[in-house]
Amino acid sequence: MIPRLNMKALLLASALAMTGLAAPADTLRVAMGFDPLSLDPIASSDNGSIWTQLLIFDTLIRPDRTGEGLEPGLAESWTVSEDGLTLTFKLREAKFSDGTPVTAEDVKFSIERAASEASGWGRFYRPITGFEIVSDHEIVMTLAEPFTPAFNNLALFAAAILPKAQVEAKGDAFFDAPVGSGPFMLKSWTRGSRIELAKNPHYWQEGKPHVDEAVLEVVTEPSARVIKLEAGEVDIALDPPLNQLKELDAKDGITVGQTIPYRADFVQLNTKRKPFDDERVRQALNLAIDKDALVQGVLYGAGKPAASAMPVMAYADPNLALYAYDPDRAKELLAEAGYADGFEAELLVDSGAATSRNAAIALQAMLQQVGVTVKVQMLEGGTQWETTKSGSYDMSVSYTTSDTIDPDQIIGFVAVNPERANAYHTEWHSDRLNELYAEERKTLNGPERGAMFQEMVQILHDEAPYIFLYHPASAWAAKDDVQGFEVLPTSNFRLEEVSLAD
Amino acid sequence: MFLAILKRLLMLVPVLIGITLLSFLLLQIMPGDPASRAMGTRASAEELEAMRQLWGLDRPIWVQYLYFLRDCVTGSFGVSIFHKQPIIALVAARLPYTLAIVAYSTVIALAIALPFAIFAAARRGRLADVAIRQVFVVLIAMPPFWLCYVLILFLALGMGWFPTGGVGEGFLANLHRLFLPSLVVGLSTAALIQQSLRAALIDTMQADYIDTARAKGLRGREIFLRHVLPNSLISTISIIGVRVSWIIGGTVVVEKIFSVPGLGSLLIDAIVSRDLPVIRGLTVFFAVMVVIVNLITDICYALADPRVRLE
Repeated sequence: MIPRLNMKALLLASALAMTGLAAPADTLRVAMGFDPLSLDPIASSDNGSIWTQLLIFDTLIRPDRTGEGLEPGLAESWTVSEDGLTLTFKLREAKFSDGTPVTAEDVKFSIERAASEASGWGRFYRPITGFEIVSDHEIVMTLAEPFTPAFNNLALFAAAILPKAQVEAKGDAFFDAPVGSGPFMLKSWTRGSRIELAKNPHYWQEGKPHVDEAVLEVVTEPSARVIKLEAGEVDIALDPPLNQLKELDAKDGITVGQTIPYRADFVQLNTKRKPFDDERVRQALNLAIDKDALVQGVLYGAGKPAASAMPVMAYADPNLALYAYDPDRAKELLAEAGYADGFEAELLVDSGAATSRNAAIALQAMLQQVGVTVKVQMLEGGTQWETTKSGSYDMSVSYTTSDTIDPDQIIGFVAVNPERANAYHTEWHSDRLNELYAEERKTLNGPERGAMFQEMVQILHDEAPYIFLYHPASAWAAKDDVQGFEVLPTSNFRLEEVSLAD
Repeated sequence: MFLAILKRLLMLVPVLIGITLLSFLLLQIMPGDPASRAMGTRASAEELEAMRQLWGLDRPIWVQYLYFLRDCVTGSFGVSIFHKQPIIALVAARLPYTLAIVAYSTVIALAIALPFAIFAAARRGRLADVAIRQVFVVLIAMPPFWLCYVLILFLALGMGWFPTGGVGEGFLANLHRLFLPSLVVGLSTAALIQQSLRAALIDTMQADYIDTARAKGLRGREIFLRHVLPNSLISTISIIGVRVSWIIGGTVVVEKIFSVPGLGSLLIDAIVSRDLPVIRGLTVFFAVMVVIVNLITDICYALADPRVRLE
């Protein structure tokens, strides 16, 4: 008899041989949905780049795990003067991954670079006008006028500390093979496919990272990330499809987790147009929406209802109540405003965002209950932005995320008018809120500043230039032997905390 | 022949000028701007203006167009706003995977289509022919994303024969890793080839010169291999040509699901982020590729069929 070739065994053997080569035991493999574009902190705004940079570079101070406070990074301690004009930082004994020490010179260079014309984040750092290098490990920054967010903004990735000598010598080429003081260093980068990181032997946190290597696999398709996890090709899958979370959690060997990041989803209302110029109509729309149903139906439970357009972050008021679901009261308010028979309006939505699309359809049904007929108009994301910016819209499903832990950025964006986006193109305006905004920026961090934020958010809530929807969670799924992984409220993750149990 | 090829290459010049102009103008009227994409939606008007200045988007349109032409001529095709790299470098990093899928899927398609076309032609009108045709019609109609997931579920997750996606290092690793994506692309090519080749075979078998050959006393097998098959394959050449042009930029769905960093996903990502230089550069690059592929197809035609002349 002629022996037949066993194709299955052969292929299986070659598959095993290849996965065996690719992954030594202490390599942590993460599937993420974003393709990092650049490792230059001042030129980045995409999640893939930012998350990778935060593994390679350090900042002076960094958001803590709760996302509401700050903790030491490269600076082991700091003081802010009474008038808020002088920031003093004491640096710890830290080294870049090539063994050279991190000095005050590097700090000055990096922050000046972040404030430069070439920086996409210049406005965050330009208020810092003076640098005084006291010693290799002490630096004093001065501001010309009080601007409280300047300090918190130093915790942003764009203020990553880079080795001055190397960046100056290599120019843009430095960022193809960057050197930082963070927990990992870049081992290889296959654009569009994967980033391989190796443990930084000089990292200042003793004993971390726990793993020797980490691989970030770019897998843009959410279902494909989950499949990779189930096939054992990765240890962690970020942002799995929300409708698969329950099923995944029920699987043996897989654990699901979630964090609510700094994000709020809402519907912009064009307050320049009738009937949205009437506060009662806007409140009625908020009362007509069953937010819990949205969270269950659209987010599959992964999120919580929102009471305002501000993400839940520092100084958030835990007592701020949601607009209750009350269609009867909504109808009353509409009748008071002269719209007893309801009205028709157009709702814009980004055709590429599945969650927003589903939300739009649910909103259409809920608003119909109070007599408001909604026409859903799907647009490509860029077109939607241009349309709302030009003011030719009624309602638009949108969201905001915060880059920094300071709530100043987002309140300025969603509620202040005139400002960067004129209250995110709602053109809504509150004199009291504008006053508080100007004041808050000059007030030192503390309860007084906190009270100002709470009052601003209360005004935003009451006058409702948006239909407030929800805060969606960032989810992840990991193998059971992955320990210590979590997505932070700032959306990034600290792989140096993660270990693999065998 | 060489003169004809040279002539065809020269004809590329006006075509390319037309394409650069068209792609440039179309992007001008496309809404959305890269500055607000890059800065998030939260930037101020001054910041957006500063970014546009940095990227040269504030210059007059005709100046931008001339810069674009210069970049095309010098071969860099411009510099990406977001990747900060020359477009030719971005293409060079991804082209091998795309070309691998082109070649791999074509081999798979031929391996599947040839036997089935011959078999079906030989049994024209009989049950086997009808059954094969139905199967291939289903293959053409099958949405690629569905086929991708079915193959992943059965062959990758179920049997464990293949990885679920991604690319590896080295020829052998990629031969293994790129099999499933190439199979998806190859199956629909195979369906197209099978249908046209079957028809061509049947046509050729009825041609007069085949009767002549038979009358000369040639054996059936010899007639088939020397006369019927070569003459029928000419239609297959043009199908492969058209498919290759399409695969180079059109396999986004397959690339996304199997995490293959190919040219199609590069283009789609660039469109979403409004990376204008990449969109423009790639459009021109794709156009050049299509023209070259067509030229190669025509040359193959001329080589296969002496009656065809390159003009």
